[in-house]
Amino acid sequence: MGVTLSKLTIWRCFWRSLFLQAGFSTEGMQSLGLVYALSPALVVLYPDAERRQAAFKRHLAPFNTHPYVAAAIVGGILFHELKVARGEETPETVERFKSSLMGPLAALGDGFFWLSLRPAVGAVSVALVPLLGLWAVGFYVAAYNLVHLTVRRLLFLLGLTLGDGLIARVKAWRAPMWSARLRVLAAGVAGGVASWLAVKFGVHAKGWVEPALDVGSLLFGVVAVFVLSKKVSPYVLLYVAAAVSLALSMLDVV
Amino acid sequence: MVSAALIAGLWGGLLALERRAFLQAALSRPLPAAVGVGALLGDPTAGLMVGLVFELLYLGGASLGGAHADHEMSPAVAGAALAATMGDATGADSTATHWALCILLCAPLGIAGRLVETRLDARARRYFARLVDAADHGQVERALRQNLRAMWPHFAFYGLVTGLVTVLGPSLTSLLHSAPPSLLRGLAGTYPLLGTVAAAAAVNASQGEGRLRVAAVVALLVALLLLGALGVRTWA
Repeated sequence: MGVTLSKLTIWRCFWRSLFLQAGFSTEGMQSLGLVYALSPALVVLYPDAERRQAAFKRHLAPFNTHPYVAAAIVGGILFHELKVARGEETPETVERFKSSLMGPLAALGDGFFWLSLRPAVGAVSVALVPLLGLWAVGFYVAAYNLVHLTVRRLLFLLGLTLGDGLIARVKAWRAPMWSARLRVLAAGVAGGVASWLAVKFGVHAKGWVEPALDVGSLLFGVVAVFVLSKKVSPYVLLYVAAAVSLALSMLDVV
Repeated sequence: MVSAALIAGLWGGLLALERRAFLQAALSRPLPAAVGVGALLGDPTAGLMVGLVFELLYLGGASLGGAHADHEMSPAVAGAALAATMGDATGADSTATHWALCILLCAPLGIAGRLVETRLDARARRYFARLVDAADHGQVERALRQNLRAMWPHFAFYGLVTGLVTVLGPSLTSLLHSAPPSLLRGLAGTYPLLGTVAAAAAVNASQGEGRLRVAAVVALLVALLLLGALGVRTWA
């Protein structure tokens, strides 16, 4: 029972895992993408058609997690499927691994990548626009993907080599602490950008009107944060801002 | 104009795939996406200025647990493409008037995009059903390409929307020509205020502990610095 997976097959699974969300639906969620990612390995592991179909079927249950950290689960499934194919584990082990990890890893991925890293890199990139111009976009894509692609590849390898042991390794990264710091960074930088843009508001006005408009728009920003915290739509505020500016223009203030 | 619409549509369609189906490497975030379409249409500054506001507006947006946030890519790409074509129709690069108008016109696409994405999720059940059906008949491998087939509605819809919006550029430019000067001045002045609102939304969306305190301190420091510089300039 010396079944193995070649490097090519393993990296084909990783490549296909990048399409995890392509077939996302309200029913199976990411399971179509998961089966698509695992397919090259399952074909090799189970030459017998009946066992292969059973392997495919056990991954058709609804599956949903963060697309980046899914790499760890895909790697871990390969780890366990190898053992199942060798007769060292039962198929239930794979299902248990998958269902027990997808929730916690989704929370970790959402919290770190979507709600912390991306806002922080986005805010810093916007703040760099006055200094770097178009190069700020290069910074954005490079900085974000340096972390994203490194972590995604690492998670896949951890799952593949450690199976359930990846949990302890991921825990040691202290992602919640980094998330908290990145969120504060994003908020601070966004505050600075708000000031910069507000002070630009009165730039075409003459004499005392310019600082008056600058201070007025700063206060508008403060009010906007307060109003938004009361669940008012930001779209409404965009149109209110436009109406205020147009009204000031009609009055020949700006 | 047709070529600009085709370029913008293709870019919007491809980024819709990147955002949803493949990689999610932030290329479809408003800033890179808008600068990309601006560069393709010969006015990267339009992309930078429109993308900057939308990036801040949607900074904290994320699809969590299958519930979608507003579609941040559509308004950014459509707005930047529209601003670039409006500028092109005047024979020059776009201005703050164009940026503000395009942001205001294209912002609702964020909500529309979210609603369509939810509908497409429901539609994608048919692809999953085909896989389950194939599994029952022992033919899973043959049904796996359904995963790739499910991408095309996203490419087609978001590409079409972006392309169609881009076509409006010259007509809007003609309309602006006949607008009163105070309206044009007001629109130009609106741009930084829209940015301020978007940055306020970014502060609000950040969930960090003490975020308001930190944002207020940084905002105050930047304001004092800039207003101080303004005072020195005026005095000099």
